[in-house]
Formats: sequence, structure tokens, C-alpha cells
Amino acid sequence: KYNADYELSAKQGADTLAYIALLEEKLLPALLHTFWVEAENYCSVTKPWFASRIPFPLSLYLPGKMSREALSRILLTRGGPPLYSLTEVEAQIYRDAKECLNLLSKRLGTSQFFFGDTPTTLDAFVFGFLAPIYKVCFPRVQLQEHLKQLPNLCRFCDDILTCYFRLTVSGKLCFFSPLCHVWIKTPDPALIISLQMDDKLDKSPQHPPRKLTTLKLAAGGEESSSLNCLSP
Amino acid sequence: ALCFQAFLQMCNLPIRVVCRANAEYMSPSGKLPFIHVGNQVVSELGPIVQFVKAKGHSLSDGLDEVQKAEMKAYMELVNNMLLTAELYLQWCDDVTVEEITHPRYGSPYPWPLNRILSYQKQWEVRRKMKAIGWAGKTLEQVLEDVDQCCQALSQRLGTQPYFFNKQPTELDALVFGHLFTILTTQLTTDELSEKVKNYSNLTAFCRRIEQQYFEGHDKDSSAAVAARSAKRSLLR
Repeated sequence: KYNADYELSAKQGADTLAYIALLEEKLLPALLHTFWVEAENYCSVTKPWFASRIPFPLSLYLPGKMSREALSRILLTRGGPPLYSLTEVEAQIYRDAKECLNLLSKRLGTSQFFFGDTPTTLDAFVFGFLAPIYKVCFPRVQLQEHLKQLPNLCRFCDDILTCYFRLTVSGKLCFFSPLCHVWIKTPDPALIISLQMDDKLDKSPQHPPRKLTTLKLAAGGEESSSLNCLSP
Repeated sequence: ALCFQAFLQMCNLPIRVVCRANAEYMSPSGKLPFIHVGNQVVSELGPIVQFVKAKGHSLSDGLDEVQKAEMKAYMELVNNMLLTAELYLQWCDDVTVEEITHPRYGSPYPWPLNRILSYQKQWEVRRKMKAIGWAGKTLEQVLEDVDQCCQALSQRLGTQPYFFNKQPTELDALVFGHLFTILTTQLTTDELSEKVKNYSNLTAFCRRIEQQYFEGHDKDSSAAVAARSAKRSLLR
């Protein structure tokens, strides 16, 4: 009933799959590394952030486990010879991630979304990968700096953030659900980000989408500019 | 290995295929296949493409930036889905492992080395599958994924002769390599090749490339040599 891809052609559907594979292969390792493996980032931002939302005593164990899993995933998928040390692997994955960002920027060009004027599954996927890089304030930010040099991708993230997400007065992030036409307080920004990093969204059944009215942020738009730093 | 042969032949570069038991160790990155040119050895598709480009041959020069981005995305899709599915089938599906993979992989070595090496490789592959989340998948789910990938490729190819219309590119070589291998390798079940055969434009695509780039060449039929080396490559 709410299929964002209903109006895509078969070829565009195929392109969606291909770009999602590209994101997972090239961008995801660097994203995992920035969040979970880079020591300064992990200790100062990620771990306290996740630990604050997970009940004790899991908060002592789970972040560490996720960090170890991220590292093992990076090493197993990208760490074979001729890359023998972690620093070489890191250099390679960041190179790949930057190339991936460049490719996305070229593909997006000047259009508002990847397939014209309405958002689709691919836009949601790309947003899910880019928004954490763009908004979260880390000590070590080489990916963010690279992303900021690609103005169309930054504009893409900002558009989606202003249209569909909004900070309430209390500072909790809430998003506009186009399905119910209401604002919903999110469980957690961290949850959204971790959901995006997880497996693919389920394919929804083939029905025409509801027409989404383009949303302009309400005049009393609260503090959306303070989205400069997404904080828990 | 077939995709590299196809790629090099599309660039009109003459090549000779040689099968060696210690091939994995000869390769600088430990991965097959690799090419040996003069006194340089280069392995894996990315570096080989770069190497060939540096020597002045390239298949994707005619593409604009957006098309190049699309080509890279599709190559990742093929690597992500087809390659992982092939690995899964060879090393994680117990029936195939017992009947085909273990004997073939260990065949150049004496007992007990053959068993040890093949178990070691199996353990490595399973660990990788677990890290990317494929370990929990059943064979049906893997075949579903392959089907989805083939559907995407088929939709992208449409009625064109190659993926980017008139000229073959690295993507065509890569897709050809994988699909031809799937279609021609004997496994315990035919389900994988059936999935590909469902898409007639993909089988026509493989046949076209085979005819154009492999059958014109010197006999003992390069296609047969390619098929034999493809069988070995499926196991590497």
C-alpha cells in the first residue's frame, strides 16, 4: 500500500539494487570503522551514546561486542592480502568510501532525489548511510570532511532532514510519518542509525504510494538548525 | 577467471591460459586469477583493469560520469550477490561440499594434506559468511537472492546487446564470467543454473559473447579450455 518504488521503471528498480550493493560494499566498512573501530570516536561518542540507551548490565557488554563484530567484519571482507596491517586496510576502505561518495554525487547531479522529484527506497538507503556521517560530531572526521565537499549530497541530506525530521522543543528528535500524517517521537536517533546499518528494508507489496505532499517546515519550525550536532 | 579472459579479449589482447596447482600462492594478493606480463604480475579485476588502462587499453572510455557510476554499482551488485552465492554454494551447502568441492580442491595434494587444506578453506569461507550475515541463510534464500540479482541484470540489459548499448565494458566481462560459469559447471543440483536460464536475454547475452570472443580463436577450443579453467576457478 505504501510502496515508494511503485512508479519506478524496471530498469530503475534494478539500479536501486545495484546502488544499494555499492553502498554496502564500499561505504559501509568505512562507516562501521568511523563509528565502532576508530578508538577516539568509539570511546568519546559511540560507546557512551549507545550505553546510555541500553539498560544496565547490557550496556557494559553490548557496545563492546558490536565494536568487535564491526572490526571482524571489516577484516574478513576487506582485509586479505596484499593488505596486511590494519592501517593499510583502513586506508583502503576510506579510499573506497570517498570514491563511493563521489560516485553518488555524480549520480545525484542536480536533481532533488535519485529518481526525479519523489523519494524512493534508494533515497532512504542513501540518507541512512549519509546522515550519520554528515551530522554526528566525531573527533576524527575525515569522511565528514569529504562529504562536505560534495554540496549536492549535503543538500540532499538537509532536504530530507527538514522535510521529514524535526526537533521538538524538548530536544527529542521526531520524524514526520507520511503514512499517518503525524509527527512521531522517535525512539532514538541511535536506533534509526543502527536500523539503517542493518539489513535491507523489506520489500513492500506493489501498490501505488500515497501522494506525499511536499513538506515545508512549519514556520514555527523548532530549532531545526540546531541539527548541526545530533545529540542523544 | 573467465571474466578476465573475456575482458582481455574484448580489449583485443592475446592471452594464454595455464592451469597450475599452486596458483593461489603465485598470485601477489593470494587471489585468483592473475596475469603475468613480462616481469610484472597483477591480480584481481580492479588492478588488472587499471594496469591495462595504463597500457592504453580501456573499455569504458566512451561512458560519461553517471554511466561509469552505474557500471561500478552493477559490478558491486554482481560481486555482492553472485560471487557470495557461488562461494556459499561451494562451501556452505553440505551436499555440494562433500561431493564436489572437497575432492576437487584437494585433488592436487596427497592425503592428508588435501583434507586439511580444504577444511581450512571451508572454515575461512564460513567465517566470512558469518561476518556478513549469510551464515544464517538457507539455500532457498540464497537462490532467491541470485534470482533477484539476475532479474536486476536482465532488466538493466533489456534488449540491448551489451549493458551499455553497443560496446562491451568491464561489466559485460564480469557478468559473462559469472553467468557462463554458473551455466556450465556441473553441480549436484541444477537449481542455480535454472535461475539464470529463466532470463532468456541473459543466456542470449552469454552465447553472444562466447561466439564473438571465444570461438573465433585457435582451437582445442578456447571455450573448452575456458570451461575447464572455469571449473577450477569456481573452486578457488
